[in-house]
Amino acid sequence: MRNLLNFLVKYSYWFLFIILEVVALGLLFRFNHYQRGSFFTSANVVVGKMYEISGGVSSYFHLKSTNTDLLDRNSALEQRISLLEQVLREKMADSITMAQTLNAKANDYTIYKAYVTNNSINRADNYITLNKGEADGIRPEMGVADGRGVVGIVYMTTSSYSVVISVLNSKSNISCKIKSSEYFGYLRWEGADSRYAYLKDLPRHAEFNLGDTVITSGYSTVFPEGIMVGIVDDMADSNDGLSYNLRVKLAADFGKLGNVNVLSRNGQQEQLKLEKTATNQ
Amino acid sequence: MIKSYLNNIGWFVGLLLLQVLILNNLHIGGYATPFLYIYFILKLKTNMPRNRQLLYGFLLGLVVDMFANTPGVHTAATVFLAFVRTPYLNLFVAKDNTDPVNPAVGSIGVSPYLKYLAVSVFTHHIVVFCLAFYSFADVANLIVRIISSTILSIACIVAIDSIRK
Repeated sequence: MRNLLNFLVKYSYWFLFIILEVVALGLLFRFNHYQRGSFFTSANVVVGKMYEISGGVSSYFHLKSTNTDLLDRNSALEQRISLLEQVLREKMADSITMAQTLNAKANDYTIYKAYVTNNSINRADNYITLNKGEADGIRPEMGVADGRGVVGIVYMTTSSYSVVISVLNSKSNISCKIKSSEYFGYLRWEGADSRYAYLKDLPRHAEFNLGDTVITSGYSTVFPEGIMVGIVDDMADSNDGLSYNLRVKLAADFGKLGNVNVLSRNGQQEQLKLEKTATNQ
Repeated sequence: MIKSYLNNIGWFVGLLLLQVLILNNLHIGGYATPFLYIYFILKLKTNMPRNRQLLYGFLLGLVVDMFANTPGVHTAATVFLAFVRTPYLNLFVAKDNTDPVNPAVGSIGVSPYLKYLAVSVFTHHIVVFCLAFYSFADVANLIVRIISSTILSIACIVAIDSIRK
């Protein structure tokens, strides 16, 4: 007995080693099921705060390029406004349909502003941390986009921070379509280059050209229709030869994300519930 | 005693901040990321109880994971490193040299120290990248990342050593 105890004490580090490794691997494999397990990620308050401080400092280094981007965007929007005003004046004659359309668009989704405090582009699965959380109205499954294009989907939230699954993540799966022809597929990232993702499952008879714009389809409940995703850069057949695989040059520059919009789609819950009952029958 | 504790805590926090705020954002050539935080584990005194070495490794890995959003990856790798460093040291250091020391060029000799460094860092990086990728679909990419990061980490560790002297 005494020998046994001595043996156990002498080699206790073996047991501790095995216990600690089991805990670590447990964290690794169960993370995906822990929707509420945000304590061990950067949605945790302390970690979030630290990233906010360091993000606050490093944001000053990008001020110049952010400013030029804003100016570009501003002039583009001004051009658009003048164009739209012109069209509006032409269509104003039919004032009732006009009023209806405006109302419908305004109720479609709500926009929350947020700032990226942490971001990566080089891992196998990339996540983004935002400085807004549940207290600001952000919930999981909301879409995230910046001025240029789609960025990702909110994954976990705490009261004041949220973690976003970036498009550059193997879990990301966004329904998109070709703007000119309305054919749709889904967008996946296959690792390696952070500038490109792949549009898959596009039917063989779909018509498109290289350089066509890819936008969100609005079929999923996450993104409203028509948000910029990227530009068709290259095409190839899928492995089974039944569909196209398009390489898409992403519009958002993941290397320098700053201010982003979180899009909350009204009626998201309702659509999800309806689709669930429909598939269960 | 207290001084050595404070010293350890200082290194722990300093390396951690350096790792999560600066080095994690570094991807030289799109592949190599230095994991300098393991310097803390590599430098623990050789006579420290192995249970305590493991706990230090667990804690360090856990915090790095929290910042990097990779639960379990660095924790598993750093615990593993803390476990294998003693056998590695026994393997490379001459048997008659049994005084408790912090492994360094001055204390255990140039060649044993570099061997210990290379093998330990390589082991740790293999575990980190294999767990992070969790597939062998892209073996070439995986191997390039492991090797380039190992070289970079060792270079950083040697650089810190030369500054401390």
